[in-house]
Amino acid sequence: MTFALGYYVALIASSCAAAFYEKRSLFMMLFSLTLISFVVGIVGGEGALRFIATSAGLLALAAGVSYAFKEFLVQISRPSLAKELKTAPLTAAFGMFVIFTYAVAGIFAPWIAPYGESEIVTSAFAQRDENLLLGADQLGRDVFSRIVYGARNSVGLALLATCLAVIIGALSGLLAAVKGGWFDNLMGRTADVIMSVPSLIFALLMLSIFGTALWVIVIIVAVIYSPRVFRLTRAVAGNIVVMDYIEAAKLRGEGDWHLIRKEILPNSTAPLIAEFGLEFCFVFLLIAGLSFLGLGIQPPTADWGSMVRENATLISFGDITPLIPAGAIALLTVAVNFVVDWMLFRSSGLKEV
Amino acid sequence: MGDLLGLVLKRLGLGLVTLLVVSILIFFAVELLPGDTAQQILGQGATEETVRALREQLGLDRPMVVRYFDWLSGAIFLDFGVSATSGESVTAAIGPRFANTLFLACYAAVIAVPIAIFLGVLVALFRNTVFDRVANVLTLTSISSPEFFLGYILILYLAVKTSLFPAISSLSADMTFGELLHRTFLPALTLVLVVTAHMMRMTRAAIINLLSSPYIEMARLKGMPPFKVITQHALPNAWAPIINVVALHLAYLITGVVLVEVVFVYPGVGQLLVDAVSKRDFPIVQACCLIFAATFILLNLAADVGTILTNPRLRHPK
Repeated sequence: MTFALGYYVALIASSCAAAFYEKRSLFMMLFSLTLISFVVGIVGGEGALRFIATSAGLLALAAGVSYAFKEFLVQISRPSLAKELKTAPLTAAFGMFVIFTYAVAGIFAPWIAPYGESEIVTSAFAQRDENLLLGADQLGRDVFSRIVYGARNSVGLALLATCLAVIIGALSGLLAAVKGGWFDNLMGRTADVIMSVPSLIFALLMLSIFGTALWVIVIIVAVIYSPRVFRLTRAVAGNIVVMDYIEAAKLRGEGDWHLIRKEILPNSTAPLIAEFGLEFCFVFLLIAGLSFLGLGIQPPTADWGSMVRENATLISFGDITPLIPAGAIALLTVAVNFVVDWMLFRSSGLKEV
Repeated sequence: MGDLLGLVLKRLGLGLVTLLVVSILIFFAVELLPGDTAQQILGQGATEETVRALREQLGLDRPMVVRYFDWLSGAIFLDFGVSATSGESVTAAIGPRFANTLFLACYAAVIAVPIAIFLGVLVALFRNTVFDRVANVLTLTSISSPEFFLGYILILYLAVKTSLFPAISSLSADMTFGELLHRTFLPALTLVLVVTAHMMRMTRAAIINLLSSPYIEMARLKGMPPFKVITQHALPNAWAPIINVVALHLAYLITGVVLVEVVFVYPGVGQLLVDAVSKRDFPIVQACCLIFAATFILLNLAADVGTILTNPRLRHPK
C-alpha cells in the first residue's frame, strides 16, 4: 500500500514539476504513465503496478545512461564529429553504450569473469548466490563467467566473419563495377544463386558436409552473406564510375587498383559502414542460430547460442537461465541496429520529407 | 500485352535456371564427401561384397552425372530415394512433415500479413510522430531478437507461468481444427512477431517513398481529400511493393521455421533437417534443402511476377 501511494505521489509531483517548467513532452510522458499505472493498478493489483514501475524505472535508467554517454562522447570527440553526435537520437546513444559494454566484456573477459569458461566449479544447475551470480549450468559451470567469455567468442567470431564477408563483397563489387562486361555478369549471377538459397539452410548443408571447425564456419558464413555487400557496392560504385573524374583518371592512365582505392572507395564509405553494421547483425544471428542447433561453435567453448540449447530444459521449470544468453544476443543486435538506423538516416539513405 | 507476357516468361525462365543451378550445388556438394550411402547404411563392419551389392541395388555404381539426372528426375516426381540411416523412403518421411510445416507457415502468414500491412500503412501516415518512433523501436527489437529468444520468452510467460498454451506442439491425426490451432499457437505467434516487424518496416518504407512522389503532392494540392488520395492515387502504385514485401517475407518464414520448430519440438521439415544433419543422413538433407530452396525461389519468383503484373505502367502501355 505504501509502495503504491509513494509511487503515485512521486509520479504526480514530477509531472507537475515538468508542467511548471513547461517541458511539454516530458509532462505528457510522465502523466500518461500515471494514467496507465492507474488503470493497470486497479485491474492487476499491486503486482502489476510494481511491474510497470520497474519497467518504467529501467527505461528511464537506460535513457539517462544513454544521455550521459552521448554527452561524454560529445565531450571527448573532435568538433566536427561532436556536431554529428549531438544530433544522435537517444536510441543510437544507447546502442553505442551497449556496444561499448560488450567490447569491454569481450576484451577483458579473463579479468572480469570469476571462473574459467569451461571450469566446473559446483554441482549441476546450482542456484544463484553471491559467488555464482547467475547460477550454474548443466555441468556445474558458472553461467556468468560463460556469458562474459561468450562476448569474446560469439561476437569475435561474428566480427571475423562479417569482416571477411564485407571484404569479399566490397572487392568483388568494386571490381565488377570497374571491369564491367562478362566479369560483372558472372559475379552478378553468382550472387543471385547464393542469395536464392535461404541462408540458414545453405549454412546447415555446408556445415554438415565440411564439419564445424571455426575457420569453416567463418568462410561459409562470409560467402553466404557477401552477395548483399556485393550488390550494394556494385550499385554505389556503378553510380560513381560514370562520373567525369573517373573518366579523367582513366585518361591519365591509372590502373584499376588505383581507381578503386583512390577514387571510388573514398566516395562510397558511408553506405559501406552502415552495411557493415547490418551485415554484422545478420551474421551474428545466423551464427547464433547455428550454435543453437548444435552446428556452430563447439563445446566446451562458451558461446551464447549453444548455452541456450544446453540449458533449454530449465525453461519448463520457470527458470530464466536460458533466456540470459539469448537476451545477450538480442541486446547486442538491437544495439547495432539502433546505431545503423541512425547512420542510415544521417547518410540520407532513408531521409524523409 | 505481349511485352508483359515476355517479361513474365523471362522471369520464369530465370527462376527455373536458378533452381537447376541450386540443385546441382546441393547434389554435388554432398558427392564431395568420402564414402557413400551404401557404406553408411551397412556401417563399419560390412564386407566389401555386401557394400558392392547394395551399391548396385541402389544404383550408386553409375557415374556421378547419370546419378544426378536420376536424382533430379526423381525429385520432380517427388521421389528422393531412400534414407541413409533407416533405409525408408525419403518421401514418406518428408510428406506428412511438409504438410505440418506448411500449415504452421500459413497459420503465421494469415495472422501476420493483414496486421503488418495495416500497421505499416498506419505508421507511414503518422510518420515522425511518437507513435512512429515507438513502433520503430519495437519492430527493430523484434527483428533483432533471435527466434529462439522470442520463442522461449513466450514459453516462459504463456506456457509455464500461466499454462494458457502448450509449450510443446505434439500433433496427432485425430485432433479437431480448433485444438490444432491451440496447440500450434505459440510457434505461430513467434513467427508472427518476427515477420510482422519485418513486413511493417518494409511497408512503411514503400508507402513513405510513394507519398513523397510529386504526383501525390499534386493531388493533395488540388484539394483532394486525403482518403481519396490514398485509394485513387497511392494504392494502384502501392500494390507492387506490398506484394513484393508479402512474398519476400513468406519466403523468410521458410527459414525462420527451422529454428522455431526446434524450439517447440514441432514435427515439421525443419526439425527433420536438423536431425538429419546431426545424423549425417544426406539423402534427407538433400531433399529438405531442395524443398526449402525451391519454395524460397518460387516465392521470390511470385514476388517479381506480382510486381510486374501490378505495375500500372506495364499494364497500360502508351
